[in-house]
Amino acid sequence: MTLKIRSSIAMENKAPAVVLPMDTASIPGTIQPVNENKIEIQDFSFYYGNFKALGNINMLVPANQIIAIIGPSGCGKSTFLRSINRMNDLVPNIHTEGQVCLNGEDILGQGVDVVDVRRRVGMVFQRPNPFPKSIYENVAYGPRLYGIGKSHGLDEIVYNALKQAALWDEVKDKLHQSAMALSGGQQQRLCIARALAVEPEVILMDEPASALDPVATLKIEELMQTLKETYTIIIVTHNMQQAARVSDFTAFMMIDNPQTRTGVLVEYGPTAQIFTNPKNKQTEDYVTGRFG
Amino acid sequence: MARETFERQMQTILDQVLVLGSMVEQAVLEALDTLKRRDQTAARRIYEADLHINEKRYSIESGCITLIATQQPMARDVRFLAAILEIITELERIGDYAKGICKITQIISEEAIDPVLIDELQQMADQGLDMLRRALDAFVASDVETAREIPLEDARVDDLYNQIYRQLMEEMMADITTIDRANHIMWAAHNLERMSDRVTNICERIVYVATGEMKELDTEEGGNTGLN
Repeated sequence: MTLKIRSSIAMENKAPAVVLPMDTASIPGTIQPVNENKIEIQDFSFYYGNFKALGNINMLVPANQIIAIIGPSGCGKSTFLRSINRMNDLVPNIHTEGQVCLNGEDILGQGVDVVDVRRRVGMVFQRPNPFPKSIYENVAYGPRLYGIGKSHGLDEIVYNALKQAALWDEVKDKLHQSAMALSGGQQQRLCIARALAVEPEVILMDEPASALDPVATLKIEELMQTLKETYTIIIVTHNMQQAARVSDFTAFMMIDNPQTRTGVLVEYGPTAQIFTNPKNKQTEDYVTGRFG
Repeated sequence: MARETFERQMQTILDQVLVLGSMVEQAVLEALDTLKRRDQTAARRIYEADLHINEKRYSIESGCITLIATQQPMARDVRFLAAILEIITELERIGDYAKGICKITQIISEEAIDPVLIDELQQMADQGLDMLRRALDAFVASDVETAREIPLEDARVDDLYNQIYRQLMEEMMADITTIDRANHIMWAAHNLERMSDRVTNICERIVYVATGEMKELDTEEGGNTGLN
């Protein structure tokens, strides 16, 4: 497929191409991206019935980067995030326009295996939601669905996932104890391990630290930096300092007007730029806390 | 309006920067006055009063750091506070130049100085301080255009400095007994010349706050004329 790349911007020596919306599209300098694009979103709109919840979103997500999505409540951040692994399919009476391509393939297309999409694009939610099972079984749950048993190296998969989620050392002696006995922060890292166990390519995080204390939050943030070496991460957060701390790129969304209330992408760029010198007045007002 | 407390705190810091600017301006004028009048007592007093300028600078710096740590300023706000940290350093250095001139007053003591030189030094100070006043006004008004124009006036200060330099060189060549005194006068002129360079740095920060652009401003339309 061919994507309309309106502009590209450089960020230090890594310069992934990003589709910049509207008035920032004139930023000069088209630079060949170092990282290929993992996700390419083109003219994406999302409807709940007749209500257009998201309008004409264009965005390129470079591989192995962390992208933060910020914006006021109700602007469609979570709807947008959940579109990237078709979680919204569970909601009745929705439809979409445009394309969301993962490795160049439109995941919204006909005949796409939705279960496989959700395996490739894992998700971590606001509140840790471990299954009421053992720590081991929580992580093994996904691989088991794909028919992977002990004889196929399930133990190793569980070990690797827990290790990658920086949880192994804390749980290695109690793998068969209930996951519900873990602390909130540990439970959230277990949920990350559960997502990693099915070998995803992208991890979506919807406010993953909002229910955690500052120490547990920092652990998740540090973990994200390790995970991005292997995965592409998109995080929705209300915490702007968190977006500024963890992400490489930041997307600012808001509703287009109070009548239609359609969520649009206002500005998308390197995080350093969004938080020190945003190009759009609405972004400036939002990040400085003067609106939203 | 959101963040009223934060905006009030930012305004307080800005007010303090203007107070520091006034203190520095006063110090430069009085320092030059001590040189004109050879007022040793006043020179000592102004020399010691530099301490208050330093204290004011540290107090503003501390206020900025507190706001950064507690309010997590972003975008224009963080540029504004970062600029203030730079601007107060420049102002404090201008205060040091005033202090340096007082030191020269003390060293030169009763030796005679050509009134023409004194007049030229006064012109340098007036020009530099006028640039400083307008730069601080431009900072308050976020007036980028004025901030870009002010450094172009630095050439006038450089011209006066070059004039003083040549005159003193001639004096020294004609009479080697004047070397010591002439050197000190040259140092006073150098301090005033550096003052207007500091104003240019302040203007660069004003442009940065307004545009996010961090680069040196032209101080003249052609090449470099200064001896610095």
